Amino acid sequence: MAETLVHAEEIGKTYGTVVKTVALREVSFEIGAGEFASVIGQSGSGKSTLLNLIGLLDTPTTGRIVLNGHDATAASRKQRAALRNDFIGFVFQFHYLLPEFSVLENVLMPGRIAGVAPSELVPRAEENLALLGLEGLEKKNANDLSGGQKQRVAIARALMNRPALVLADEPTGNLDTENTKAVYKLFREINAELGTAFVIVTHDRSVAQQTDRILEVSDGALLQDVRNAYVAPRG
Amino acid sequence: MLSFRIATRFLRKSPVQSILIAAGIAVGIGVQVFLGSLITSLQTSLVDQTIGNSPQVVVQAKQDGQPVAFTPQLKQAMEAQSQITTVVPTRAYSAIFRSGAESAPLQFTGGALDQLDTIYDISGRLVAGKASLAAGEVIVGKDFADTFGLKPGDEATFVLPSGKPAKLVVSGVFDFGSAAANSVTAFVSGDDAATVLGLSSDQYTAVDAQVQDVFSSEQVASDLRAEPALNGLQVTEWQAENADLLSALQSQSSSSYMIQFFVLVAVALGIASTLAISAVQKTRQIGILKAMGMRDRQSGRIFFWQALILGVSGAAVGVAAGLGLIALFTFLGRNSDSLFPITPQVGFVAISFVVGVLVAVLSSLIPSRRTKKLDPIEVIQGG
Repeated sequence: MAETLVHAEEIGKTYGTVVKTVALREVSFEIGAGEFASVIGQSGSGKSTLLNLIGLLDTPTTGRIVLNGHDATAASRKQRAALRNDFIGFVFQFHYLLPEFSVLENVLMPGRIAGVAPSELVPRAEENLALLGLEGLEKKNANDLSGGQKQRVAIARALMNRPALVLADEPTGNLDTENTKAVYKLFREINAELGTAFVIVTHDRSVAQQTDRILEVSDGALLQDVRNAYVAPRG
Repeated sequence: MLSFRIATRFLRKSPVQSILIAAGIAVGIGVQVFLGSLITSLQTSLVDQTIGNSPQVVVQAKQDGQPVAFTPQLKQAMEAQSQITTVVPTRAYSAIFRSGAESAPLQFTGGALDQLDTIYDISGRLVAGKASLAAGEVIVGKDFADTFGLKPGDEATFVLPSGKPAKLVVSGVFDFGSAAANSVTAFVSGDDAATVLGLSSDQYTAVDAQVQDVFSSEQVASDLRAEPALNGLQVTEWQAENADLLSALQSQSSSSYMIQFFVLVAVALGIASTLAISAVQKTRQIGILKAMGMRDRQSGRIFFWQALILGVSGAAVGVAAGLGLIALFTFLGRNSDSLFPITPQVGFVAISFVVGVLVAVLSSLIPSRRTKKLDPIEVIQGG
């Protein structure tokens, strides 16, 4: 197996102190570098919780997460912020672009947070935008784009720091069929070109079928973890 | 400087809100500058009117009625004080004016006119006659002259402390702007006063002095008391004689500080609440920035920078507005005798500016803390 990016060891999440809701119970799995995996499950099954935990956006109540060799469970808020910035790119159902900034500035943001010089960042950001077919839109305000364009800008932003892992939570939930297809095609291309690992959360089985590995979550437990022999359609 | 960049963008994205906060600071600092300068100038004017034309430090003999020898050593010791602007030896006595059945007590001050002018500005305040204190001449106040129908050139009779009558010719009439001073004050030549009091040429009843900063007189008096040349002499500063005025000035200052303090509190509350609202409005942006790896401290600084930018711009506009109000006040009062000139103090204006910026920055503490504590998951889960 390829180098391990995410090592999740019996991770669980319980919300509330008086009334306890178990969202995830003792789930263990690993994600290797360059993998293209999906997490499926019904609404409320715990798939987003799983993604938020491995994305270090949330902390597990039990268990341990090791991200690229760093024990994230023991890390401080500051260290977890740095790990997110270095290793993970996020694409959410809602694009979450900053309306105060232009397309280019939004894409640059993770690099700026990392403190990289703009001279180094701009060519990379432009490369990302070109990869996503967004040339010419650099100076536009994020609000002036179509839904599909916004999500592509969000993807370009997620790739800014060349993360080892992109976590996508229902990334096409707000897009039409055409744009949905285009986004997954892009994910595949980026995966092949840059070697970025993808973990895509979806409730759509047909989307999951296009990935190489399917983790199915039900009632907070990992129901199955199967390899999927996906062959890209021609053309 | 990413937080600074984000702060400026946030401010530009909500221009009305930004302008409102800056305007709030500007109003507060404007009031502060205007009110502070007004009160300071009012006090200066009041002090100047009350004691500006009277001795602020007086050297006398310890025993009442004993003369002071105005020796070169004494003169030198007093003039050596950097705050002292003028040193005038005077001879003072009381006499009673008689005119038929009418009489009035008068306080005579004897001295050389050019020297007396440095304290009392008699020549400058003359309303009739001429400024002259030759032997046998007297300069009286306007109210006294009016009461008894005296004009320059008239002869007046006074009963001296010895009981003997003395005739003096009125050479001029002054107006000190106060009926009390105009009714009881009179000036004669130093030699005439020496004759009345039986003093030799270097003997005086007091040595009067004026100081540059009237509030320095306590320090000056205390320094003089330590001088060997003033051994056996009594030094009195104006504060000891004007306790009422001092307490009035102090009450005025404290009420002015109170007003300024509460204006600033109101400004601080205004900025804090508006910035807190702004922090809530930007929760989603802050959350996503944190998801991308922005550190808590870095995100907290966004509101610090916003407050600093608003504070600096608001305080600058406030200082300009305050100075503008002062200029307007001065312009409107240019032809009025009852209005006094407001002189803005550079130090006070600078302090007001700094206070404005500090208040704004302190007001950002609450939104900054809130932003620091925000967990990205709160935004991501909320959709």
